[in-house]
Order: sequence, then structure tokens, then C-alpha cells
Amino acid sequence: MRWRYILNVVGILTLFFGLTMLFPIAVGLYYKDQSVIPFLKSIGITTFAGLLLYLCFRGSRVETITQREGMAIVSIGWTTIGIFGALPFYLGGEFITFVDAFFESVSGVTTTGASVLTNIEAVSKGLLFWRSFIQWLGGMGIIVLSIAILPFLGVGGMQLYKAEVPSPIPDKLRPRIKDTAMLLWKVYALISLLGATLLMIGGMSPYDALCHTFTTMPTGGFSTKNASIAHFDSVYFDSVIIIFMLLAGINFSLHYQMLRGKTLAFWKDSECRFFLGTIILLIVVVTFNIHGAVYENISQAFRYGAFQVVSIITTTGYATADFDQWPAMSKLILLLCMFMGASAGSTGGGMKFLRVMLYFKYCYKELFSLIHPRSVTHIKIGGKVVPEDVTRSVLGFLGLYMGLFALCSIVLAGMGVDFVTSFTAVAATIGNVGPGFANVGPALNYAQMPYLGKWLLIWCMLLGRLEIYTIIIFLVPEFWRK
Amino acid sequence: MKVVIVGAGEVGFHVASRLAHENKDVVVIDKDSDAIRRISDNIDVQVILGSGSSPVSLEDAGIKEAEILLAVTNSDETNLVACLVANIISPYTKKLARIRNADFDKYHDIFRDHAPHIDTLINPEIEVVKTIDRLMNMPGAVDVGKFANGSIKFIGINLDKEARLAGSRLHEIPAILGKPSPLIAAVIRDEELIIPSGDDRLMPGDLVYFISEEDKIMDTLRIFDKYAEPVKRVLIVGGGRIGSRLATLLDDKPVYTKIIEKNPDICAKLAEKLNKVVVLHGDGSDQGLLNEENVQEMDFVITLTNDEEINILGSLLAKRMGARKTITKISKFSYFPLMTMIGIEQVVSPRLSAINTILQHIRRGKVLSSISIKGEQAEFMEAVALETSEIVGKPLKNISFPKGALVTSIIRNDNIIIPSGDSIIEPDDRIIIFATRQAIPKIEKILTVKLEYF
Repeated sequence: MRWRYILNVVGILTLFFGLTMLFPIAVGLYYKDQSVIPFLKSIGITTFAGLLLYLCFRGSRVETITQREGMAIVSIGWTTIGIFGALPFYLGGEFITFVDAFFESVSGVTTTGASVLTNIEAVSKGLLFWRSFIQWLGGMGIIVLSIAILPFLGVGGMQLYKAEVPSPIPDKLRPRIKDTAMLLWKVYALISLLGATLLMIGGMSPYDALCHTFTTMPTGGFSTKNASIAHFDSVYFDSVIIIFMLLAGINFSLHYQMLRGKTLAFWKDSECRFFLGTIILLIVVVTFNIHGAVYENISQAFRYGAFQVVSIITTTGYATADFDQWPAMSKLILLLCMFMGASAGSTGGGMKFLRVMLYFKYCYKELFSLIHPRSVTHIKIGGKVVPEDVTRSVLGFLGLYMGLFALCSIVLAGMGVDFVTSFTAVAATIGNVGPGFANVGPALNYAQMPYLGKWLLIWCMLLGRLEIYTIIIFLVPEFWRK
Repeated sequence: MKVVIVGAGEVGFHVASRLAHENKDVVVIDKDSDAIRRISDNIDVQVILGSGSSPVSLEDAGIKEAEILLAVTNSDETNLVACLVANIISPYTKKLARIRNADFDKYHDIFRDHAPHIDTLINPEIEVVKTIDRLMNMPGAVDVGKFANGSIKFIGINLDKEARLAGSRLHEIPAILGKPSPLIAAVIRDEELIIPSGDDRLMPGDLVYFISEEDKIMDTLRIFDKYAEPVKRVLIVGGGRIGSRLATLLDDKPVYTKIIEKNPDICAKLAEKLNKVVVLHGDGSDQGLLNEENVQEMDFVITLTNDEEINILGSLLAKRMGARKTITKISKFSYFPLMTMIGIEQVVSPRLSAINTILQHIRRGKVLSSISIKGEQAEFMEAVALETSEIVGKPLKNISFPKGALVTSIIRNDNIIIPSGDSIIEPDDRIIIFATRQAIPKIEKILTVKLEYF
């Protein structure tokens, strides 16, 4: 482990992140609100800290970095970005304790969307813009963005990319990682632009349209309104947002293929088929379940059912209805959605459909070999054999995911949080969803969590965003052994 | 520029790594998933698991947009088929193939002019034999390369403790010698490459690279206290492809040569082919046999078996038994840095020479040849100065050369000029540039940039 180099890169990332604060400053100046001063302070502190790290640990020329170092850079980098992203919230006086500001910031960059703000609409526009903007940055990945535009990362970029965008079956669009990263960001920005335009056409103010696009595309879920999307109460906005949440939940390399003219790309990809098929099935079930029990009208039941299923399964976390009041079956389905998450290579969180699909196929293979003990079978996805070690790592991932979920829920419950709240809070943060049930349901938020509970959930959010391994590896003693 | 490489072995790996460092788009195809994983874990390239001779893999790799296809698997047949398929899918892609079987030697031109239209066939073994020949004639040299059709050579030597120049600063050298200093391009000390300036010292144990004209090489070597000794007796261990090529070459020379080979069938074939060379059946690491064959009298013991550990041990054994010099064939690059440490001076590597040949063909602009020095940290490049290039027409000191690059000589109408800061490069001069790996992309740009835009 070459710590000098690691800290040097973290310094550059911090510096780069600091510079992105120029955008909320511009917004703050435009609306002439009180957020400009805290932002100026934050940008000063962040860039100074970044520069200091960069300069202090300069000079270690490195040609390649190991996987271990890549993971260290990414997890330290993300934590650091979380801390500095919290500065505007803290200095802006929105929060009394730093942990609240830190929670809000990490919830932003990890695209969770769990909030500790009780009255969102009272917050200045510059600060709310920042809250949405960090979700947008975190969605496609701040490190992926740095790989795309900063020239320094070079060869090391690949290890960083793998640590920030872990995927069971890596997918490189171009031969070079820099080009791949650039392409992904271009596709991301293009779809975001389209989304914002459609929202504006429907009559949303440019500010709200931008902020909501910035939280839809990364499947984040922060809103500028207390009532989230329900505030607008419009079928048009609901449908536009449903479509863009779905797009964000689909592997971005498929979007790239679509843009290159392969119109059947979604259909040809087995994960995407499975993803969309599951969503349709769940929407139908939820619609019939809440029809009559909550909504008299079937079209109403479909509107809210569809929105909520898509919002939770893509791990966005917007709300148009208080689904905490829905029947148990719908609630359990939504809980399941929190775990499954979106597609691999998308901006969504959770376990990812590809892994779930691999798991099902693995189970089937096991059953098959019980019936035909001497059969030779392979797990195939899209007609291609999945290597043994990929399956193993996926099983390991699912095991760790469930294990950590159980452990964290128990610890949270031990802090005095009630049963449903503690396990849905952990499920919603580790899956980067946002709202859970009971005391963290869509109508309430995380402000009432105990002090240590907030730290635990911050950790869960990072764990979920970087897909377990990158963060958990720090706790393994072997990692520190020389 | 996009390059498709078929074969993720040692050659494929290193060429891919070099090209990725130079920001080229590289796609590697191999059917061995472990080899593929090694590449994708270490190098920023795209990888495809599949057979390189299959049209499907080649299309997946985007052969249609590729400028160059490199077929460097271990199998000549796969390489040929890959080129043939590529020729059908994408006729304008330049194709390079490694073909080692000597039976194909005569067909290199035919393959170029007819299908599969392979632009360059690389047979590293021929190169290695040439290198061995050069090393034998160059006292003390551990690395030799030639430019300008052989009229200029770069030579790497290990500086001895007793050498006159050991410990002196570069700018003091002319005073010590009483004549101008040879052009020292680079020094490798403790595995680190240094481009020395006037204040840097030469230390004992350094690997010193210098440039010299062909006819002055012996004088220059004497400066470093290396004296020529005629080669009269040579022992070759290993009668494989390289061994038999070398034996055939020495067969016609006034050199008393013996060759040891373990496999009796190969021995029989060698004996059939060779006239003067003594063919011995036995194990090259058998001390009794070496003793019997007077290994202590040998000027050179050259170990060329397919097993590198045997080569290394054989060379060490021969050296300890009194052989004057050894040359060892090594394929694993990770062994290179160890060689000086354990006392093996001269090393040849078919893979390194394959890489050199390949890189030479990939370089942009009018680069005529490029040769990597030990450990691949730097390269000598020979290029033609284009009229439109930035480097032409102004004094060298006014050209913004990247750090880590040095114009080591200018060849104008067969005259060799060792440049100073005031020298001016004229159009169509041939220049030899020494560049570290980091500086290579910038050098390529300087050599070609204007050509592309005007």
C-alpha cells in the first residue's frame, strides 16, 4: 500500500469536488439567497484541503496501482467527499450537529435520498440545488467523472473504475477506460437533458425541473418539496418521472447501444428483460392489492402503484403516496424491491438484477443436478457461459449483503429503534433507496434516529453505493497486513 | 489508433501494455481465460475471450475499425488463420504475424503479396541469432542494437570497478580521455533509468548505454576498458530452433563449435545438417560432460534450451567452471533485473526482439526502427525528419523536447553527426532519438503532427 499516492489522488479528487461547488454558488447568486457565503467558505476549505493533500503527498510517480490501492482510494475518496459535501449544509446553519449534515451529504452522493431535513421548502435554493447536484454527481460516479476528464489517473483509472462501479460481469464499452468513462457520462448527461426538457414542457419551473432531473437520473430521490413528487400532483409529471427512473435503472451500456442505432438492445439483453418483466408483474399485483383497500378507482390504484413500485425498485425513493399505509402484501413487495434494486451498470442500488438472476439460475442448476447427478451444466446469461468464479463472487456478495443487513438491523434495534423501523431503515440505506416504513416511512424521515444510528446508516449507505466489497475490505485484518 | 492483438501470451501482454501506455486503443483476444484475466487486471485494454482465428471474435473486437492486427499466439497456424480471416473481413487492416517455423522463411514475401496479405512476418528467432552474433563480436556488451543499416550502433555495457571512468562526472570525461566523450544516452542503476546530465557521475556497476559509429566501436569500448578478444571456441547448449540456426551460422565461420542436445532425434538431425560443428548428445547441466568437453577453454557458452531455469543454471555452472563468457536465453521478463545480480551478463530474449519488431511497425510517422532497451523503460527510435515536422530547421536547443528525450545522432548523407544544442536538423535527415516510455507519445507527435494537418 502506497499511502502517499493514495492520499495524493484523494487530494486531487477533493480539489475537483470543491470546484463543482461553483455551480450552487451561481444558483445562489441568481436567486440572491443567503447560501452564497457558506458556499464560498466551503469551496475555500475544500479546495485548500485538497490542494494541501495533493502537495504534501506529491511526487510519488506510479505506473500501475493494485486492486487494493484502487479500493482504498475509492472508499477514502467517497468518505472525504461526503465530509466536504456536508460543509455547505453545516455552515449554512441548516443543521445543529455535524452528523446531520454529514448524513444528508452522504445520502446525497450515494444517491440514497434519505433525509434528516424536516422542512425542506424552508431551505435556501442554492443549498437545495447542491443537495440535488451531489446526487447527480454521485449517480454516475464522481471518480468515473474524474477518470473521464482529468488526465492524471491514466492506468490507475481502471482499478478505480472497478472499485467504484463494481459489476459482476465487467463491460468495457471502449478499449480505454477514459473513453468508456467519458461515454457513460455523455449518455448520462444526454438523458438528463432530455428529462429536464420534458419536465419543463409540462410546466415545471426550470429550477425544479433541473433539481428533479438531477435526482431522478442517479435514482437518488431528493426533492425540493416537502411532499416529494406528490406536491405536483400531475399524471404527466408522474409518467415522465416513471420513464426516466426506468431508464436510469437500466444498464447504461444498453443506452449506448440504443443511441448507436441498435433499437432492440433492451429486448436482447436478458437482464433488462427480466428487470422490466418483474416490474410489470409487480405493478399488476400491487395495483390489484391496493385497489379497493386504498383507492376506489382502478386507474388511481395503477397510477400510484406503478409510481411506487418503479420508484422503490430502481432505488430512487420518490413518493407520490404514503405507501406505509398500504396493505401488508404491497408493503412486502416494496420491501423486496428495496433488496433487488436496479440493473447492473445502472445508477440504481440494491443487489442488482443481474446478481439475482444469476442466483436463480444457480439454484436451478443445483436442483437440476440433483435430478441428473451426472449432468454437466453451465450457467449461461445471454447465451454466454458465466465463469465459475463470477458465480462464486455473486453468491459471496449476496451472502454478505444479507448478513450485513441482518447485523446492522440488530445493532440499530439495539439503540432503541422499533422493529419495523430498524430493519427497513437499514434495507433502505444499504439499498440506496431512501424511505423505509414506520418511523422512516415516506411521510416521516430520519431526523429522529439516534446519534449513533445515524453514523451506522451513513456507513450502510456507503456500503450499498460501493457494493459492499470496496468498503468492507477495510475491516478485514488481512487488508492491513504488510 | 486501434490495434487488435490475438494472443495474450508474454509478447501479446507486453505489446498491449506498451501500447496502452501510449494511449492507443487496444483489444486483446485469447481463448485462455486466465491469460485474459491477467491482461484485464493489469492493463487498460478491452479483452475478448475466444479464439483469435474465429471471425466472430475478430468482429467482436472491431477488426473493421482496427488499423493493425497483431497475431502473436504460440501457434503459427492460429496466427496465419487469424490473418487470413482478418484479410477477408477487413482487407485494409495492416497485419503482423509471428511465424516461427523455419519452413516459412522463404514464404515471407509470398504471404505479403498474396492472401493473407501479411504486411510483416516476424520471426524473432532470426533476430535473436543476429543479436547473439553481434554480442559475440562485441567485447563486454550486454545489449546491442543497430541503426541506419548498421552504420550506427547503440551498446550497453556494465561499467567495471577498475574502469578509468568509474566515479567520474560526465563533463570531466573529455579531460580524462584527452578526446571528446562518447555520447552516453542512458544509465541504468539499481534498476532505475537515468538520463545523465554533465554533473552526473558514472558509477561502477552501472549499465551504460552509448551510441557509436560502427567503425569506432572498438575505440569506444576501449574507453570503458573493454578489450576485444577473438572468439575461437563456442559451446551451444540446446539444439532447438535457435540453437540449430546459430550452429548453422557458425558452421561457416572459423569458429570451433560444439552443440549439446538432450534429445537423440534432434541430435541426429543436427548432425545431418551440420558439417564442422560437433554434435553432442547429453545434458547441458551435466558437470561431467561439460568437463569432458573442456568447458573451461570456451570463449562463449550459449544456453538456448526451452527451459529458462536450465539456461540460467547452465550458464552459471559454465562460468564457474571457467568459461570466459556466457549468453543466456531468457523469456520471462521478470527475470531480467535479477540477471546482473546473479552474475549473468549477456541475455537474449526472442520475446523482447519480437516486441521490438512489432513496435517498430506500429510507430507512427516515418519511424524506421525502434529498439527497447533492457526492462522496456526506454526506447531508441530511428526516424526521418519530415520537412513539415516541428524539429526541422531550428537549433535543437530551441525545440521544446519532452523531458526524458534526447536526439542522440543525426545522419545526413551517410555522415554521422553527434549533435550539440546548436545543431540544426535538416529535412530528410535521419535522426536517432532516445526516449523514456513517458516521452514516447510526445515524440511521436512531434515527428508527425504537421504531417497530419497539412
